[in-house]
Amino acid sequence: MPETDGRDDHPEWSRLMAAAQDGDRAAYERLLREITPLLRRVAARRLDQAAAADVEDVVQDVLLSVHTVRHTYEPRRPFLPWLMAIQRHRMADWQRRSVRRGRHELAVDSLEETFSDRAANTEGGDTDERREVRAAVATLPPAQRQALELLKLRELSLKEAAERTGMSETALKVATHRGMKGLRALLGRNREHG
Amino acid sequence: MVETDTLIRRLAHEAAAVRRLPPPHRRVLGWLMVGLPVIAFFAAVMGARPDLPVRLREPAFLIPLLAALATAVCAARAAFASCVPGSARWWLWLPALPFALWLGSLGRQCVQQWLTYGPDGIVFRPDPACLPIIAMVGAVPAIAMITMVRRGAPFTPRLTAFLGALAAAALAYVGLRLVHPQDAAFMVLVWQFGSVAVFATVLGAAGRWLLAWRNAAAV
Repeated sequence: MPETDGRDDHPEWSRLMAAAQDGDRAAYERLLREITPLLRRVAARRLDQAAAADVEDVVQDVLLSVHTVRHTYEPRRPFLPWLMAIQRHRMADWQRRSVRRGRHELAVDSLEETFSDRAANTEGGDTDERREVRAAVATLPPAQRQALELLKLRELSLKEAAERTGMSETALKVATHRGMKGLRALLGRNREHG
Repeated sequence: MVETDTLIRRLAHEAAAVRRLPPPHRRVLGWLMVGLPVIAFFAAVMGARPDLPVRLREPAFLIPLLAALATAVCAARAAFASCVPGSARWWLWLPALPFALWLGSLGRQCVQQWLTYGPDGIVFRPDPACLPIIAMVGAVPAIAMITMVRRGAPFTPRLTAFLGALAAAALAYVGLRLVHPQDAAFMVLVWQFGSVAVFATVLGAAGRWLLAWRNAAAV
């Protein structure tokens, strides 16, 4: 938490936030649009290993956090230290999440040789099974597809996924369950026909 | 994934007016207005120790008592500061001084008793009732504290919960000292101060659970 020195380099943002706290939606939207490039720049600089999509992830996390705790802003104090404290915590969370995710993934260098077995020679790695799964996922309804992508592939928590999508946690659980069930049915049917 | 632009539109669309968080010092006063009556009620129900007027004139009794009270106030202030983004970090260290004075004065009494009476001066016997009493008396201030800090931004949930629990337990310690006629310094240090430490540590460890980050409710 940085010490605030009482100076406010962005009095306009302080004013917009105070108006937003009073329910001025236009001021709030303007504020969020104005701070987004700054959030993006800071995230890109601090998370120098992160891909553009991850930087955008962090930016969205910060925007959601700003929204959730906007009542904690005190209009007499500078806006920027308040915003940057939120961003710093959110970036730390992202880094923790990234490390956790990394533990479940295994980095494998591309192998120069493959086995002579036909199954190992996949020409670019897109196996029939992967194509099959991708095609099956593509046939799912959008909500189920999104739930599977966020919860199963990106390994977000239910809360995070709910914040991203605007769906309730229950709706996400149901969509994931149905999506998995649908996938199982689709893949099972394909196998039977194949 | 939702586009950032869409997210901004959605957030702005859903943004209702919010009630600003009062300044931390006002929140401390609000919390004390819940906590102090609980302590007073506890002392009234249990009955103040008969020698209280005399003991209140003795520095050995009064200093740790006032230090505990100051720890409660400062820890509460620190807990509230810890959940306001951008607060100065030194607020988190505010309870360190009264806490050190509290622990130091109890430790000093132990050493003095040891030097005066030798090993026989250190009384130690089981008095495990202190922990449940601290927990029981501290429960209401602790619940009030958790409820209040949940309105903030719990970015450091364990630290916030620890500071809040320390504040509540220190207040309960004050109540216990007014009621419980236990003055052997080592006993007070181990059982009463120890109970405060256990209470604060356990709730601090449960901080992530107690102060889980809330969803952007309206999103």
